[in-house]
Amino acid sequence: MRKNRAVYLLLALALVAAACGDSAGDTTTTAAVATTTTAPAATTAPPETTMALPAVDIGVDFEAGKIYVGMLSDLTGPFGPLVTPIVDGHSVYWENVNANGGINGLEVELVVKDTQYIPDNHVQFYGELKEEVVAFGHSTGSPHTMAIREALEADGILAVPLTWYSGWSDPALNSNLVPHGAPYCIEAMNVLEYLSKKFEADNGAKPSLAIVSVPGDYGLDSAIGAALAAAALGLEVVYDGTGKVIPPAAGTTFDPTEFVTGIVGSQADIAFVTATPGTFSGIYGGSLAQGFEGIWSGAAPSWNPAFIGPDSPIRGGIARDFWGSAYISPWSSDAPGMKELRDLFAELRPDAPAHDYYGEGFVEASILHAALQKAYDNGDLTQAGVVAAAKSLENVDFGGIGPAETYVGEPNDRLQRQSLMFRPDPADLDAGGSGTTVVEDFFTSDIAAAYEFTGACYKLEG
Amino acid sequence: MRGRPLLFTKYTADQALLPTGTKKVMAAIFVALLVSIPFDLIPGLGFLAANDWLKTLTRVFIFAIGALGLNILTGLAGQVSLGHAFFMGIGAYAAAVLGAAPGALWGLGLPIWIWLPAAGLVAALVGVIVAPTAVRVRGLYLGIVTLALVVIGGWLFRNTESATGGSQAGRNFPPFELRLWQEEKPFLSFAEDGPWFGIDLSAEAKTYFFLLVLVAVFTLVAKNIQRTRVGRAFQAIRDRDVAAEIMGVDEFRYKMLAFAISSFFAGVAGALLASFVGRMIPESWDLALSVQLIAIVLIGGAGTVSGTLMGAGFVVIVPRFVQELTDLLKETIEEGEGVLARIGDVFIATSGSDGGIINTLPGSGPGLSVFQLNLVLFGLLIIAFLIFEPLGLYGIWLRIRNYWKGWPFTY
Amino acid sequence: MSAPHGGGPAAWMLLFQVEQPSFLEKLPDALVAGISAGAVYAMLALGFVIIFKATQVINFAHGALSATGAFMVAALATVLRFPGRFIDGAPKAVQWGLSALLAVFAAALLGMAVERLFIRPMVGEPLFTIAIITLGIDVVMRTVTSDFIGTDIRPLGDPWGANSFEAGPFRVAHSEVAQIVVAVVCLLGIWIFFRTRFGVAMRATAYDQEAAMTQGIKVGRIFSVAWGIGAGLAAVAGLFASVFPRSTGVSSFTAFVALGVFPAIIIGGLDSVPGAVIGGFIIGLAEALAGSYLTFDFLGTGFAGVFPYIVMLVVLLVRPYGLFGTAEIRRV
Repeated sequence: MRKNRAVYLLLALALVAAACGDSAGDTTTTAAVATTTTAPAATTAPPETTMALPAVDIGVDFEAGKIYVGMLSDLTGPFGPLVTPIVDGHSVYWENVNANGGINGLEVELVVKDTQYIPDNHVQFYGELKEEVVAFGHSTGSPHTMAIREALEADGILAVPLTWYSGWSDPALNSNLVPHGAPYCIEAMNVLEYLSKKFEADNGAKPSLAIVSVPGDYGLDSAIGAALAAAALGLEVVYDGTGKVIPPAAGTTFDPTEFVTGIVGSQADIAFVTATPGTFSGIYGGSLAQGFEGIWSGAAPSWNPAFIGPDSPIRGGIARDFWGSAYISPWSSDAPGMKELRDLFAELRPDAPAHDYYGEGFVEASILHAALQKAYDNGDLTQAGVVAAAKSLENVDFGGIGPAETYVGEPNDRLQRQSLMFRPDPADLDAGGSGTTVVEDFFTSDIAAAYEFTGACYKLEG
Repeated sequence: MRGRPLLFTKYTADQALLPTGTKKVMAAIFVALLVSIPFDLIPGLGFLAANDWLKTLTRVFIFAIGALGLNILTGLAGQVSLGHAFFMGIGAYAAAVLGAAPGALWGLGLPIWIWLPAAGLVAALVGVIVAPTAVRVRGLYLGIVTLALVVIGGWLFRNTESATGGSQAGRNFPPFELRLWQEEKPFLSFAEDGPWFGIDLSAEAKTYFFLLVLVAVFTLVAKNIQRTRVGRAFQAIRDRDVAAEIMGVDEFRYKMLAFAISSFFAGVAGALLASFVGRMIPESWDLALSVQLIAIVLIGGAGTVSGTLMGAGFVVIVPRFVQELTDLLKETIEEGEGVLARIGDVFIATSGSDGGIINTLPGSGPGLSVFQLNLVLFGLLIIAFLIFEPLGLYGIWLRIRNYWKGWPFTY
Repeated sequence: MSAPHGGGPAAWMLLFQVEQPSFLEKLPDALVAGISAGAVYAMLALGFVIIFKATQVINFAHGALSATGAFMVAALATVLRFPGRFIDGAPKAVQWGLSALLAVFAAALLGMAVERLFIRPMVGEPLFTIAIITLGIDVVMRTVTSDFIGTDIRPLGDPWGANSFEAGPFRVAHSEVAQIVVAVVCLLGIWIFFRTRFGVAMRATAYDQEAAMTQGIKVGRIFSVAWGIGAGLAAVAGLFASVFPRSTGVSSFTAFVALGVFPAIIIGGLDSVPGAVIGGFIIGLAEALAGSYLTFDFLGTGFAGVFPYIVMLVVLLVRPYGLFGTAEIRRV
């Protein structure tokens, strides 16, 4: 009987807490204030009272002086180690902007949701946030962003994609998305041309290629780009594991055996693996165990600096075999934008470790900043107004962190085709750096330059 | 007779679903309560009329349907099954293939009155196919065989991309709307805000009513199964299957029937869940979903229908409610006043540099995130209920009821 | 670590004058992978069966115990550097070995704590209920451990690294050799243990609890030790599941490696200790061979993970109590 009394007590407490919890629940829903263009007579009116305030609908609160921006991030899923620094980059960027007057006095506040890289969560959080924010600072994952693409268009909201699927630049598919960086398809062409030329120069023969990828538009876009590059360069594809790598989920583990057997057995010279960092390291480790020596590369999100961590068993192997590509300059770059980033981090986040992906956060936030500012200047800071402003941006500059982006004009002309090549540097990581050294600053391969972009390399169904 | 409610003079009265007057009244009140929730009529429960709470309640109904099926299999017939998620997935994809609009993935665009029952029937068929293997083994061996079903099912779903959209990508599922055949505009759509009989309802409220009707139907079916010959055969098999066989209960046939019926429920629940969420990836139909359903059945009270319903409400609402509680605590801490704020601050971390057991950050931070806290609580609740109250919520309800029945002579 | 490119396969290629990897070429790697995976599964299955035989409990929390054990190795060896910190002069391997032993011991204590807190009060309750309680324990332990591990993969800092031995067509990683050696040592240890007085007492308890109690055997202590041994073996298995080449460390998914123990147990028979070990090796080999050979297009991807379960179903159809399990006789 004693045991049961404790249970009843807990139940009673729970009921009481339920009553208390829910009455406060109403106040936690963040501002969805609809104000008109007439300036409010509130005490916290923005400083520039001489200008008429822009029209707003959702996500802007003049009384609180805030603009709300939603973030659909994968913080604890397979790309968590990469997205967390990106979100930190966003936070530091906006802290700096807010400290310097914000957007005409309005501070930008991020509402971050962790989707864990699960499309249902992504769709669900989108549904919740679209009533609270004026735009999305980023949306992680290609299939996930595809899942909300139609809704973004129907609801008239802007999102900066944190994915490099070529579909975002596709005239037929591009809804309210403002991508940056070379799409996976183009990146594969850049990488393979660079590596193939290097191999030919070193060995006097064309390399053979193994292409392995996860399914979905992330993996398949990259794999198709690799196949196109192989065809253009005359490389033989000796093993094709396109779309076969299934990352582990709750209840399943990842078994790299079939890919290891495929890559090692085919004796490929270059292994191009587009996957999550976890599955990439599994396939790499298995192949290393079988004595495989070759050139390893893949789309940028396959790389995680933890590969060359001090205790990592594949540290030496990765340092020897891996050639990485990136969309942005690494932490140690001399670009003025990166210098500014390092200074800001030293000031606002002195304990944060060096990481290449803070720059990614800065680039995404810069795009949104430009869009928000332009929307404000146009007098229309509604969700639709931000979309219109973003789509009219030209030559958004990132201070050298990444190549400038334009959102007006023909898709084929404004498609970003530049990539950067780096190599892992364990000594740099040990010394407190980010673990990468640039071997080729932003370049465009001949194949990519000649490529006629008429639509997404990989068309996703459904 | 008025004063002796438990004195039954006819078999029909004994077998009735609501035998006593009190039960009838309570059932009526309960149903009225459920119907009135979206209209914000009850003071104090007004918060439930908000769209996100309606969605939570609708989710409760969907899980209740699935759990009712598992209750028939595990609680009534005593067959341990960890494979319920597999049948839900089968039902969902059958519904998708039949009901989704034609496109790059398979879809025939048929109306709901075809795809919803078909989801159940296809799942039931698969249940019948699986049954002979499952019936050969008993007890916990069966549990592990059904675990194999989930694993094999996961592989099957991931590799039939034309039907499921493939791993990581998933597909969209047909929305809730009533059509006669494949015409353009459905004559009744649950997906839009708009008036019904003059009352303005949101899409969430309409879906809520749709599922309320469905869960009522399935509850009646489940309760009826319990009191028929089939139900009694199931219970005989659960209690002593050798003795049941001796008595003439064909073990093989009834076990297969139990699998078929529970798979039907699971298939329908899977199709409803998929359409409700809108988009599911093949990995969603995993062991964790099966465990959630088993937990609902066991926490609610295995073998009882009302227990299962209570269990569904409990398991789906508790995470929601933990989220609200932590949000409330976070606000209190940020305001910084009062004892609660100080105590809360010790346990809860509101930023990366704070210390605490639970953190309110969206990603990872010191301590458990709210998502992880919900998982831990879920596990602890399973353990607590099974140790302290094996009859589950139904058992607690029985105790409360018996206490008040004997009041004030409770000794 | 620099071995000549394609040392193993190249030799065979010369012999057979073929371009593509043939059946025989893949065999050595598949066998090595299969046997070392089999060793991991065998240790998991052994721990599981000991717990089952002694306490009649199907332990769904085995995966969580193995992941927690592996994490404790990582924490003690790389983060806390304990007790390596105090014996700086000793070689790195000794320091790491001590941390690993300590972690395994801590995992065994954890297993005993779980038994005392959650299983002991449930003596006499239906087995299904206790099995679901272990499911609840699994969820809790796995979540808390995942929270500690974080989103990255945590390397264990083991001394074997990525080094391997080569002998003809066979290429065996140092860690794989260690795996097999440790598995054999554990098997021998268990075999010897069951011949000690306490081990005989445990066998008696497994056979008939009540009779054992009447003989004066302290059944409670038997339970604790059984869970301690089971958890310790799980931790060792978890350790080997988190080293090269299987993985680069322990992650939140390491716990699911132990799901492979179920087909192993079923094939061997739930209550047979030698059956568990044999079942473990069968499953390991099945997975490795399926990964290497069963890569036809129509099987799609990830079939290697499913194949053990199919083998299990086939075995069950033929022998419903596993290869070595004791059949219940039911006549109707």
